[in-house]
Amino acid sequence: MLNIKKEQDNDKLTFALEGRLDTVTSPELEGAIKDSLDGVKELVMDFENLEYISSAGLRVLLSAQKTMMQQGSMKVINVNDIVMEIFDVTGFGDILTIE
Amino acid sequence: MRSDYNDGTLTVFLEGRVDSNNAQDVEKEIQNILDESAAESLIINAKDLEYISSAGLRVFLHFRKTHPSFRITDVSSEVYEILDMTGFTQMLTVEKAYRVVSVEGCEEIGRGANGTIYRIDQDNVVKVYNNADALEEIQHEREVAKLALVLGIPTAISYDVVKVGDSYGSVFELLNAKSFSKILANEPDKLDWCAREYVDMLKTIHGTEVPEGKLPDMRDVAIDWVKFMKDYLPEETYTKLLSLVEDLPKDNHMIHGDYHTKNLELQNDEVLLIDMDTLAVGHPILEFASVYNAFRGFFELDHDAIEDFQGFSYDTAQKFLNKVMIEYLGTSDEAKINEVLDKARILGYTRLIRRSIRRNGLESEQGRAEIENWKKQLIELVDKTDTLTFIFNELDVEATVDNLDTVTSFINRFLEEEECPMKAQMQIELAVEEIFVNIAKYAYSPEVGRAKVRVELEQDPLKVIITFIDRGMPYDPLAKEDPDVTLSAEQRDIGGLGIFLTKQTMDDVEYEYKEGQNILTIKKNFE
Repeated sequence: MLNIKKEQDNDKLTFALEGRLDTVTSPELEGAIKDSLDGVKELVMDFENLEYISSAGLRVLLSAQKTMMQQGSMKVINVNDIVMEIFDVTGFGDILTIE
Repeated sequence: MRSDYNDGTLTVFLEGRVDSNNAQDVEKEIQNILDESAAESLIINAKDLEYISSAGLRVFLHFRKTHPSFRITDVSSEVYEILDMTGFTQMLTVEKAYRVVSVEGCEEIGRGANGTIYRIDQDNVVKVYNNADALEEIQHEREVAKLALVLGIPTAISYDVVKVGDSYGSVFELLNAKSFSKILANEPDKLDWCAREYVDMLKTIHGTEVPEGKLPDMRDVAIDWVKFMKDYLPEETYTKLLSLVEDLPKDNHMIHGDYHTKNLELQNDEVLLIDMDTLAVGHPILEFASVYNAFRGFFELDHDAIEDFQGFSYDTAQKFLNKVMIEYLGTSDEAKINEVLDKARILGYTRLIRRSIRRNGLESEQGRAEIENWKKQLIELVDKTDTLTFIFNELDVEATVDNLDTVTSFINRFLEEEECPMKAQMQIELAVEEIFVNIAKYAYSPEVGRAKVRVELEQDPLKVIITFIDRGMPYDPLAKEDPDVTLSAEQRDIGGLGIFLTKQTMDDVEYEYKEGQNILTIKKNFE
């Protein structure tokens, strides 16, 4: 289960995620991001209520990061320990801007 | 125009057609009767109304203004359709007439706790409820069937409520369907196939998480069974039995509650579950209690009785039950199977004794003999049992991403049972997802095949071992080079991280190709 909350403030777009970002739910996020990045300069991923992430979720994050590097910036906020460990093991801790 | 006056309510009976030819006259006539009776509320009985045009509908609008509580009752499906299309069913209280259906001479195809299912024609069946006043039950069953369907359980949902004699029935479409009981009775060589399909469906049910509060908790129901037994069991047995049931872990996975072969239908090669009124949530042992009863418990003293109910012999039932346990538990080890069956028997006998006593079983010799038989075994079983939970350690599923949930909940159930530390459990869950999804996406592509997942514990140090087996293309995922995690975002490839994550978080990962099977084993220490 994944709940995606989207909030747009001019060219700043925030996705607040709740639940699990896995093989089953990642395509939803991928679709949501794809449909809304036009003209966005600042993309924020709020992970406060994200409990779980697998490589399918990392894939979506990396592709969003690549897109945002062309047109602005992306940051991930409120990352919990479990997700942070996955970021560290995979080197995503260095690739992404994490607050 | 026929009319009835009763305690302030006037009922007017419309007949034939109401259209622009006669609408005005009809309105006038109703108005006259209303004026004479000085009734406060008006009901239009549309039982014999065959057709209504827009001119007729305006008559209804008129009376809706003067009598706000105005209702139309006994509406035929044809007229109901007109009212529905024009939005009148939203504006007015419209009560449909129940179609009358006879089941005389119809084939009985299923029987559940609260009703019997008959085939009324080639495409349709009707479930006739035992309880004469069943409208609420019908509503309940419709709702749980919808819930089950949405959660991914293949089932049929009723589309009409009908009157059958003095009872109500709900009708649903069931084309060319054959119950598993019928297959078992007529095609003995399909027993193994039936058992596999039966278990597949059972595992789908048990792998389905249900949102909180949507279905009753079967453990609470079982606690009530036990409490009923207080005066009929030795105190020691009673106290232990109660704590055995109360100690069952809370479990939000679905159970069917009446899962026997008459409730499983084969329709055009698809297996469908019917009779959903007993759906609940709980530990699978609560399911096995009723499964045991359906094939053995009920018939322990009277083996022939199963023939009347299921159409197949007691011997067939025993073979089937045994095969089902082998398939579900993933082992043919008799000791292991009996261990689980014994736990099921504890709950099964409790239920049977209660049921029999409530049906005056103590008043007949046969009833007393049955109750004594169940009770004697129950006391022995409770004495030697310390927990009703069990672990099964192998899952055999179609390797599809849709089955990921089934696999993860199977693994999580095992890990929770073994009190695996939280962090290790998260990492294992991740590894299981990565590996299973790989198999699902690539092993048989573009075909679909099966995968086995086996989970075991090993001591010194305490660790869990999970083995994945598929018969797809030979492929060693460990042979692939690890991604360079020091590269920048621009240089990084999208993907290739799953196996890497698995290697990083597990204590050991091994691959071998043997006898046409890819075998991947992961190990994770608990500490």
